Amino acid sequence: MHGRLKVRTSEEEKVKKEKERQEKLKVFKHAMNVIQNKRKKCELDTEQLDVTGQVLTKNPDIYTLWNIRREILIVFRSNLSVMEMTKLYDAELSLTEYCLKINPKSYCAWHQREWVLMTRSDPDWQKELALCNTYLKLDERNFHTWDYRRFVVSQCKPDLQEEFNYTTEKLHDNFSNYSAWHYRSKMLLHLFPDKKGGRPIQDSHYKQELKMVLSAAFTDPDDTSAWFYQRWLLGAVKNITQIVVCTVTPSKVTIAINNSVSKSYIKEKIKVIINNHEVIGEWKSCLGNEYDDLWVLNHDQSIRNHLDIKVKHILVDNEMEVMRLSELKPAIYVGRNKISFQNKYSSTVLDELNEQLDACRQLLELEPDNRWTLLTTAFFLHCVDAKAYHKEIIDIISTLINIDEQRAGYYSDLKSKWCMEDNIQENYANLSLDYKVECKKLSSLPHLQYYSFCEALDLSNQNLTSRVLPGLIKLQHCKKLNLSNNKLTSLQGFPYLTLEELNITDNPLIENHVEQLRKKLKNTKIFF
Amino acid sequence: MDDDLPTDFQVIVVGTGMVESIVAAACSRIGKNVLHLDSSDHYGGLWASYNFDGLQKFIKEVSEDPKRQEQVYNLSEKWYIEKDVSEEAEENKTDADPAKKIWSQTKFAAEYRKFNIDMTPKLLFSRGPLVELLISSNIARYAEFRCVTRVLTWLDDRLMPVPCSRADVFATDSVSILEKRQLMKMLTAIVGNTEEEMEQEFKDWNDKPFKDYLTHKGLTPNLIHYVLFAIAGGTDKMNCRDGVKESKKFLMSLGRYGNTPFLWPMYGSGELPQCFCRLCAVFGGVYCLNRPIDKVEHKVVDEGKSIVVIESKSKTLNCDHLVIGINECPKEMISPEPTESTDISKAVFVTNASIMPSEKEPLTLLRFPSLDGTDHAVTVLEVGPATGSCPKGLFVVYLITSKVTDAENDLMPYAQRIFDMNADQSETTEKPKCLWSVFYNVRDTSAPVASLVDNVHVCSGPDSGLDFDRAVEQAEQIFKKICPGEEFLPRAPDPEEIVFEDDAAPGPDFERTLEDEEEQKPEE
Repeated sequence: MHGRLKVRTSEEEKVKKEKERQEKLKVFKHAMNVIQNKRKKCELDTEQLDVTGQVLTKNPDIYTLWNIRREILIVFRSNLSVMEMTKLYDAELSLTEYCLKINPKSYCAWHQREWVLMTRSDPDWQKELALCNTYLKLDERNFHTWDYRRFVVSQCKPDLQEEFNYTTEKLHDNFSNYSAWHYRSKMLLHLFPDKKGGRPIQDSHYKQELKMVLSAAFTDPDDTSAWFYQRWLLGAVKNITQIVVCTVTPSKVTIAINNSVSKSYIKEKIKVIINNHEVIGEWKSCLGNEYDDLWVLNHDQSIRNHLDIKVKHILVDNEMEVMRLSELKPAIYVGRNKISFQNKYSSTVLDELNEQLDACRQLLELEPDNRWTLLTTAFFLHCVDAKAYHKEIIDIISTLINIDEQRAGYYSDLKSKWCMEDNIQENYANLSLDYKVECKKLSSLPHLQYYSFCEALDLSNQNLTSRVLPGLIKLQHCKKLNLSNNKLTSLQGFPYLTLEELNITDNPLIENHVEQLRKKLKNTKIFF
Repeated sequence: MDDDLPTDFQVIVVGTGMVESIVAAACSRIGKNVLHLDSSDHYGGLWASYNFDGLQKFIKEVSEDPKRQEQVYNLSEKWYIEKDVSEEAEENKTDADPAKKIWSQTKFAAEYRKFNIDMTPKLLFSRGPLVELLISSNIARYAEFRCVTRVLTWLDDRLMPVPCSRADVFATDSVSILEKRQLMKMLTAIVGNTEEEMEQEFKDWNDKPFKDYLTHKGLTPNLIHYVLFAIAGGTDKMNCRDGVKESKKFLMSLGRYGNTPFLWPMYGSGELPQCFCRLCAVFGGVYCLNRPIDKVEHKVVDEGKSIVVIESKSKTLNCDHLVIGINECPKEMISPEPTESTDISKAVFVTNASIMPSEKEPLTLLRFPSLDGTDHAVTVLEVGPATGSCPKGLFVVYLITSKVTDAENDLMPYAQRIFDMNADQSETTEKPKCLWSVFYNVRDTSAPVASLVDNVHVCSGPDSGLDFDRAVEQAEQIFKKICPGEEFLPRAPDPEEIVFEDDAAPGPDFERTLEDEEEQKPEE
């Protein structure tokens, strides 16, 4: 029948598609050939721009072609008038925009755009900001666009409050957006620093953010982006670099710091003074890193009895902290600072944290086994008063280890960290050179630099595995180390320490391992 | 024209309501020869949308010729504005928003074409059967939709937005974080639990009230209100099985198109039957409006074949199957009489502002819990100019409930809560001013009806539900009876997939080398 509807069968459709593909392939190959030939002949001309442009509109991700285009534009720049170049730059921007429509996550198209704007003399940043808005409307989680937005904002310096509001808007659409939270954190530090209190964020905004993020976290606890932001927020407190302990013995001078600091920091800010003379020497990171929390001073002074040793530390605002070392044994000098692991919040923020803690506790009454609520409760308790709530915190983490097996390792390490902090504070109350870590079932050994001054350290009866071994290098002054009854399965990575005694009994080790360690630590008596 | 009309069809469909139109499209789509008639001069029957002029004609018809519109009664129309705006009023408006127009009856008439007022306003669930059908059949390209932007409820004597999506729950200030957790937990449990988990969870609850279950789960009164009235669309008496079913339906449709689970058809619900008619016509269906039928007869012709014979405008039409809307169907063919059911009370209002102002033009579903503690919740739909329902500056608001006394008595108390019914347009009030209203009752003809004859299929009228699901379900059942074993509305081809006899594609005429292709594949 004439004009009667007939629908192409799928077989015909397939043949047609295949034919189209073959056509495309032919064109593509031909164009690539032309480009390569021209390139060989060093023909940087308009034709090359046209051909590469045509191929890129089909496939924006051939970065070689973008490179060729930049080469051409650079050559043109020295020959053409400003007007003509403006046209070419505009055309380049149109091309990248077209390509980004095909692939909004094309690294090279975004990069080309950035290059054009940085190269031309008359970039229109407002237009770029509008482009970001369009692309983030289409895909609010496209990190390429967020990244490009940060670039644009760094150039055109718009009102950052508007940028901050923009993140609010995007998060209200969908808060599972790492990029938006991240950008928000950057804006927050820029817009609302607490200059007077020396805190990173003003109290009122800090409170507001805590509320917002808890609201996200309670709406969808399985969404990790909110938790990350909360962790960042809780950690955004005033942080002072402090000397923890300084140890001077005839064999070594070490200084332990609460944070990792750079070599130049330690060189400029810290001075060791013996009998009123500054010790000149070379600082060396214990781990051999650029940043470290334990530094060794190589010097040529001889350390004898009855010396007067001081350490000076220049703090922020050029304040000077002086610490005097005491001679605990003949020619063994140790100076320890007051230490604290407690995050310090303003009273306003503390009130908010306490309020949120109450909300968590209420929720726990309804859902005692909710792991997210449990973990948040533990974090709040830790932030409010780690020492007073220590037992409760550890109980919660122990519950988590039982109910959330998949993350048991993470919880164990968290517990180890908090137990160590508690233990270190207890230990620092008594001055001695011989300590036993009283925690139970440590799985890792954070903050070990705090024990760098000890002569004997008892780490027996924990859950330590072989992965903690390299970290033991922090025990620079240790002579007697007890690692018995742990879970060491190998001794690989055991650092060179001048130990007199090492106890590794009751570990799942084999003789062979111990033999090798004996070769390494020739003067150490190893109990196995 | 009458002379051109063939007399023999495989399927004749009488009435262009939703069910009839879907059946017509489905039959035509698989190659049946279809004739589609309507006694009226427009598509849709009781499912139609009217411009303001058309609506006036309809109102006139109901009041002057009740026989023609038997389904509609108790109709009362009312103007709250002057026939014409006096010069003085025009001048005095300066204090209010200058962009705000002072409306008059004349101004309504002047812009009559910009109105599309629905007789049966309904929403589509974003993942409901009609949306799926529109997509799978490719009929969606004939229609446009807008997302419902918010779901409201009436709580503590005021309108409140209902946080129903994850984004809403996060952003709202009206519930505590503790409540956020409870609400999200309840919502995700309803959506996420497997059949088995549901069975386990609800085995002791199914026939008990949903409200009791929510209370038992420790939800606060606010949250219970949101879930029971706004999300499940229920009442105090709703049982747990239905509550969970309805909530699930609502929640499953979230996150597909907009922030709520609903779509509203541009230019009104009356567009939808027409989309199906269009597909029917594309596949060869013949259309005749203004074609009342006078007589329907069932005949057995030679070889025992049963046919249906229709007299229309003194022409005799024969078909193997007759599909007929319940309003057009001769009573004697229906068996048995449809069971007694509750009729529907409806009202339409035209107002000068939204019931709850917002930054962008809202499209609102308000689920109004019963004010007098009875079992009759009211569904309110508010649509604005962006939907093509009315001129700029106006909103059309529909109120729907089950009939208790009559439309006006049933619905007026609700209207008074959200509108200003008798104020002067020049003064600014908190509530939007009602400019025009119509109240009416509609007989509920939505119950499925059987006919006495096997090859006469009766289509139900509009139901009072929020969506089109029952219409789609019934249409599919009728189609399956007419065309057993055939696919229901397979995907219709796009224009570029269609070939005409003369330019049919020749077979493959070249040989390709596979190796070549695999070596250098342009990445797509």
